[in-house]
Amino acid sequence: MVKRLTTDALLLAIALVMFVFEAQLPPIVPVPGVKLGLANIITVYAFFVLTPQDAFLILVCRIFLGSVFSGQLMTFFFSFAGGMLCFLSLLCIKPALTSDQIWVASVISAIFHNIGQIIMAIIIFSSPAMMAYLPVLIFSGTIAGLLTGLSAQVIINRLNHKKTNL
Amino acid sequence: MFKTRTWLIIITAIIMISGILTFTISSSRLKSQNVQIIQDGKVIETIDLSKVTRAYTFTIKCESGYNTISVEPGRICVIDADCRDHICMQQGWLSDQATPIVCMPHGLIIQLSDASQTDALTQ
Repeated sequence: MVKRLTTDALLLAIALVMFVFEAQLPPIVPVPGVKLGLANIITVYAFFVLTPQDAFLILVCRIFLGSVFSGQLMTFFFSFAGGMLCFLSLLCIKPALTSDQIWVASVISAIFHNIGQIIMAIIIFSSPAMMAYLPVLIFSGTIAGLLTGLSAQVIINRLNHKKTNL
Repeated sequence: MFKTRTWLIIITAIIMISGILTFTISSSRLKSQNVQIIQDGKVIETIDLSKVTRAYTFTIKCESGYNTISVEPGRICVIDADCRDHICMQQGWLSDQATPIVCMPHGLIIQLSDASQTDALTQ
């Protein structure tokens, strides 16, 4: 119990540092919503090495605390919508993967994160025109998800000798 | 259970399709000149760019800051803002039929007001 709490807290701290660090980087392209999603490495790691429950707790706490640190309410709404869809997609994709295909889960979850953000944007701005951002966000999300997914895969292979819950 | 090769093909296909769609959308031309400025889901300003004869700027204030919008005959953009990322300024002139200019932190978007703006998505 204590071990689990400590591990989760440590992972949450790492995820938060990544989240805050990434927010300080200047935007690569002038498209709202395009980002690297470094904290996704932690979500994917926790999901497959620990349990989905741990990953969910870390995700929710990271989104809440990350929005508090960034000081913007909008960040919370968009991260929350993205995070929830991202987590649901991880749950759905899990049965179809082997322990060498964890990076695939990251790509899928990144795509659904962006879909969640677009849905939230359509609701908040009450403007269906925000749909126009979906292709470019899926494009950037797939590439970013590939990078973070491969990072997570390498970390899991090195640290855990492939002791995943798959 | 898919092979890794199958996943690679699926992911490559997603990247290619979304890339082509992005290109199609961003290369569509402006068909109309009716622009809406929306903040927090409410239309706060409507401008017909074809009726603008002289360039002017105006500032929209909100709880978290301001956006200064520049209007010229036939075009519109955000020239100044105190938001964190300045993405709204970097997006430049409203240039294609489908994609609105967005300032996420201030909840502000600038978009074409008629329903035909979704045409670029369906064509």
